[in-house]
Amino acid sequence: MRALYFFLIFIFASFMPQAQALDFGEALKDVVKETAQGVTSSTNATGSESKKVFNWKSPSPQEEIQIGREITGNLLGAAPLVKDEALQKYVNQVGRWVANQSERSDLPWHFGVIESEDINAFAVPGGYVVITKGLYRKLENEAQLAGVLSHEIDHVVRSHHLKILQKSQLLDLGAGLINKQIGKDNQIIQKVIGSGAEICARSLDKSAEFEADRMGVTLTARAGYEPYGLPEVLQAIGQTGKNESSVALLFKTHPHPDDRLLKLDEAIGNRLDNIKGGKTLNNRFYKLKN
Amino acid sequence: MKKHKILLLILTAILFLPLISPAAETGSALKADIIRKEPFSDAKKTGDITRGEQLQILGKKGAWLNIKTAKASGWVRLLSVKRGASSGSNQIKGVLDVASGRAGTGKVVATTGVRGLNEEELKNAKFNEVEVKKLESFTITSQQAQQFAKSGGLKTIKFNYLPEL
Repeated sequence: MRALYFFLIFIFASFMPQAQALDFGEALKDVVKETAQGVTSSTNATGSESKKVFNWKSPSPQEEIQIGREITGNLLGAAPLVKDEALQKYVNQVGRWVANQSERSDLPWHFGVIESEDINAFAVPGGYVVITKGLYRKLENEAQLAGVLSHEIDHVVRSHHLKILQKSQLLDLGAGLINKQIGKDNQIIQKVIGSGAEICARSLDKSAEFEADRMGVTLTARAGYEPYGLPEVLQAIGQTGKNESSVALLFKTHPHPDDRLLKLDEAIGNRLDNIKGGKTLNNRFYKLKN
Repeated sequence: MKKHKILLLILTAILFLPLISPAAETGSALKADIIRKEPFSDAKKTGDITRGEQLQILGKKGAWLNIKTAKASGWVRLLSVKRGASSGSNQIKGVLDVASGRAGTGKVVATTGVRGLNEEELKNAKFNEVEVKKLESFTITSQQAQQFAKSGGLKTIKFNYLPEL
């Protein structure tokens, strides 16, 4: 079986143009290395050809990041980052500061603004958070940005999307689809995350969204911002026409902003009354160039 | 001979009717708002609309309408305008505008340059290593974030997660 594999690689390599054949040489080296590792590590794992079994039940932070990186790469394939370094640095500063107030300050958090006039934001396992330029346009100050990022950070902290992936992976396991290792880890990850960044178009449970809203307000407050940043943004989004294409996906995958505000209002009650001195930092808020 | 010319004009008009009808649409301002040079909230101001003011809708782009009032023209928020059903006479006026070359903004309606992010696009997205690396290059440490917070005068407070009710 393995001999056949190498033979196929050889056949392919010999038909490739020179430049690609070089890459193939590298790939071949990788395969040889991994196979060698596989032999050593599989001595106690009977019959397993893999170098290491991906722990889907409780992934390590590294494994979670590996999954997240794959999804984020696909998402960025749909819409690239806005070409504005100062903007990207700014959202990383605000985002990281807010993430520091959560239980997952250990993650290497990454934030980005993508080139899309849609109004949306995405949280991906492993600490990748992406918001659209269209949503950034709606923001008026740093506290509002902190509010939006907090909501997404909480999806990561509570593993909302990871849980969906775990569920689908376990279902696949049950169906016998991936009980045999079919190749490298990222091939398996690719199989589980599905096509492209479709996981980003999936709806979470309504309760998960309400939870992220509550936690979002909390993290914003903890970070020293005016805690109403997120509700203000929800109010602004709520004024967008229901039939507008820029909010089509957001409104399809989330409860309507009016319902979210209602729920937040209930949860907040008078709990924020004693918080004084929260900042909005309007002056520092980074203005889009176009 | 002259009859034929008129007939030709009418036939041409009917042919173009569905295309140019937005150019002839009228509306009124639902609330006071700013007219801008471009369909962006940070574009330069070219005028104002006052509540109830009659206006002409020349085109649409995302959340913006290209409008014309008695005093100014430009882009206003879609939600600031109540779109009135165009009357027959308006449609004919639109046709005549096209015929006389006065309506030149019809193509704005067909603008599709703005990137969307629908399910299909997300599903068909292909991994982009260059962009992920770029994203990761902007990553900062916890300590750098603390520095950033300090420079803005942000002070952390103790606050429990809001409870589910």
